[in-house]
Amino acid sequence: MSEANLILDYAVDLSLWILSLSFLVTLIRVIRGPTLPDRVLALDMLVAVAIGFIAVIGIKTGYVLYVDIAIALGLVGFLTTVAFARFILTRGKTEDDLLEEHNQAERLKNRPPRHAPARGDKQGEGAATAERPSASPPTSSDASAPTSSDATKERP
Amino acid sequence: MSLFLVNVLLALAWSAVTGVFSFGNLAFGFVLAMGVLSLIREQVGSVGYFSRTRRVVSLALLFIYELILSAWRVAILVLSPRMDLKPGIFAYPLKVDRDFEITLLANMITLTPGTLSVDVSDDRRILFVHAIDASTPDQTRRDIAEGFERKIMEAFR
Amino acid sequence: MTIALTLLSAAFVLIGALFALVASIGLLRLPDLYSRMHAASKAGTVGSGLLLIALAIHAGEAGVMARALAGVIFFLLTAPISAHLLAKAAYAVGYRLGPTAVRDEMASTVEEQTSGSI
Repeated sequence: MSEANLILDYAVDLSLWILSLSFLVTLIRVIRGPTLPDRVLALDMLVAVAIGFIAVIGIKTGYVLYVDIAIALGLVGFLTTVAFARFILTRGKTEDDLLEEHNQAERLKNRPPRHAPARGDKQGEGAATAERPSASPPTSSDASAPTSSDATKERP
Repeated sequence: MSLFLVNVLLALAWSAVTGVFSFGNLAFGFVLAMGVLSLIREQVGSVGYFSRTRRVVSLALLFIYELILSAWRVAILVLSPRMDLKPGIFAYPLKVDRDFEITLLANMITLTPGTLSVDVSDDRRILFVHAIDASTPDQTRRDIAEGFERKIMEAFR
Repeated sequence: MTIALTLLSAAFVLIGALFALVASIGLLRLPDLYSRMHAASKAGTVGSGLLLIALAIHAGEAGVMARALAGVIFFLLTAPISAHLLAKAAYAVGYRLGPTAVRDEMASTVEEQTSGSI
């Protein structure tokens, strides 16, 4: 019995360290962005990690009241993400996002020559697929209701 | 649904008779009442109730299994030193048409390996799914249709 | 019996914490927003769910167990919904897939929708 409790104590301490590490790693994503949805996703993940934290501390201290706090925090986190999604929808893209995308496209354009030919080829293909959305509306307006199978055949 | 009510009432009766209203005793009473109802299923016409319960339970078990599998796959993918992924969005033609079923299917798709539902078309006939490996969308479509969608249709209609 | 339950809850605590760590590493390493959502919505949910289940096992009281399980079910229901809403909003506004994407069958439909509504 006491040995099992000792193992549980070690496991709880170790998992608190692991959770702290994961908190920090998620924080890096919040800071780096690059776009608002990325940050919102990372904040959502922070809430999930915080709930895990609360559960582990509940085990460590024996206060079962922490379960209620965890559930309340989960509710708040869910509502926050929903509110942020609404906000993203109404706000649209900012100029920062457009600038970031432009920079990324520039970087992609410059990259292929520096790598091996096979990889460069693959990335060229990727860039072509990324271009596709801008080219697609004419084809879709011809066929007014494209079914999925048509869509796959059109874009092999 | 009335049979479910009878089941709950029988569980309450069991708790009242034994005099213990704890969670475990109520659950035991529920299982016991279910056994009793299954004994007289021919007489009270509860055959559908039991086969539906079994199908709902099998859907739930499949869901838990797939959830664990998907978390494991994500772990493998994330920890592998060279990430070689081909993400993409593909369209999935829905066979289920009720709001509740579409919601359930979309939720399950999100929590299963490699797929994440992004949007439903306005006419509710197409579900757009983001897959972490979209190189073989037909295979993934067949998996969803023969796995979750079939089970949902079995369980709820 | 109690020894087995204690060991089980210790194992759940460790596995749950490791899944949370994997989810956050995935958030950092994966290339674009939609791929990151996979990591956050799956591994993150399983991680915090396992930790709550460990708490339920450790407490051993019926009330705490019921609340912890209710919390787990609540997360299982809400995590996909928030991921779905975020993905939908991001896509509708125009954040596209990353450069590694191989297909995008949604592009035509959404541009028809959003040109009218926004």
